[in-house]
Amino acid sequence: MGTNRIEKNRRKFFQTSAALLGGTIVYSLLKPFETLAQPENEDPKIEKGDLPLWGMGVDIESCIGCGKCAEACKIENDVPKEPFYFRTWIEQYTVKNDGEVKIESPNGGIGGLKQSVPDEDIFKSFMVPKLCNQCTEAPCVQACPVGATFISPDGVVLVDETYCIGCSYCIQACPYGARYMNPITQVVDKCTFCYHRISEGLQPACVEVCPTKARIFGDLRDKKSDLVRFLQKNPTQVLKPHLNTHSRVFYNGLSSEVR
Amino acid sequence: MSKIIFRLFLSFVLFVTVFILIQRALTPDSFGKYGHYRANSIDENKIRTSYYKGEEACASCHQELYDLVDSDLHAEINCESCHPPKIDAFTDCEVMPPIVEGNNDFCAACHATNPGRLKRGVPQLDFKEHEPDKNCIDCHNPHAPWELTE
Repeated sequence: MGTNRIEKNRRKFFQTSAALLGGTIVYSLLKPFETLAQPENEDPKIEKGDLPLWGMGVDIESCIGCGKCAEACKIENDVPKEPFYFRTWIEQYTVKNDGEVKIESPNGGIGGLKQSVPDEDIFKSFMVPKLCNQCTEAPCVQACPVGATFISPDGVVLVDETYCIGCSYCIQACPYGARYMNPITQVVDKCTFCYHRISEGLQPACVEVCPTKARIFGDLRDKKSDLVRFLQKNPTQVLKPHLNTHSRVFYNGLSSEVR
Repeated sequence: MSKIIFRLFLSFVLFVTVFILIQRALTPDSFGKYGHYRANSIDENKIRTSYYKGEEACASCHQELYDLVDSDLHAEINCESCHPPKIDAFTDCEVMPPIVEGNNDFCAACHATNPGRLKRGVPQLDFKEHEPDKNCIDCHNPHAPWELTE
């Protein structure tokens, strides 16, 4: 009698599980066809060639290191005010007569950079604004384990703030040090070329406030844009070209000391 | 087919199906639409308030000042370069006007001598030599720096 009862229950168990299994398999097989049933809901496919390809030109010869860009960036993007969180910042490079290179960036250049080396020791000195280089082959995107950072169809490296798990791998992967961990949101933050502004047709905040027009922002696909004209007129270079990141921030007057 | 192989096959199919179903349930809707990321995140990145409103917004109330700046050497500079918006009242600058404390340090951010600055274009001066006891705006109108009051 006892064995009979077990056999019955086992048969029932197999029957129900087979039904469930069959049901789920059928459901998962049918699910891809759901979208076919309502084709009118599908978004028109975006051709990459129609979209802009955003890039920036930085004219080192024009930069005076006033720090307005770093200040504006912090205001526009709610970056914490502490002096180690930056989406963009300015570095002052000073090459001394003995060949030593001194790099300074007190508070990212906010409030104006001041030269600390006496004049007679200086061989040359220049300012280098730094920001996310918006790499085409971005190491941070490759490092992200969850797909929370990505290159948007218009060529800007963005962070998905709701999807980021805060593991900081991308901060280590970035060769330009352009990312930081936001202490308030606990997710990674970085320069987005002010994505909310450029998608409305505005300029990024740093470009807007630069008093000497040392930053040129534009569409690389638009042959009439200011940026394309800047690239045509000046011999430009990207930072760390040996890393093959194919970045889209182009520097004019880049000295070999810049790292 | 022997019983044990059938059971193995069944549990294998079950495992794969459950895996696929869980994966589908946990993957966000727009994930993988354009690539290995959530496509909706692109739109989420666009939602953010622009604090910097641009010169047109300033000129709509301060046309006189705008024309004055346009007439002198600071014409190239946007209003908000010197008057960054006060973040607490971005909706209306009347609530928290972006007033700048016009001290010498503020002018020095651009005009102090620094070997790293370009010599052409932006005038450079030693703030310890040039009228050290005075405030810049005592003589220079910041909106039209060559309109001297003295």
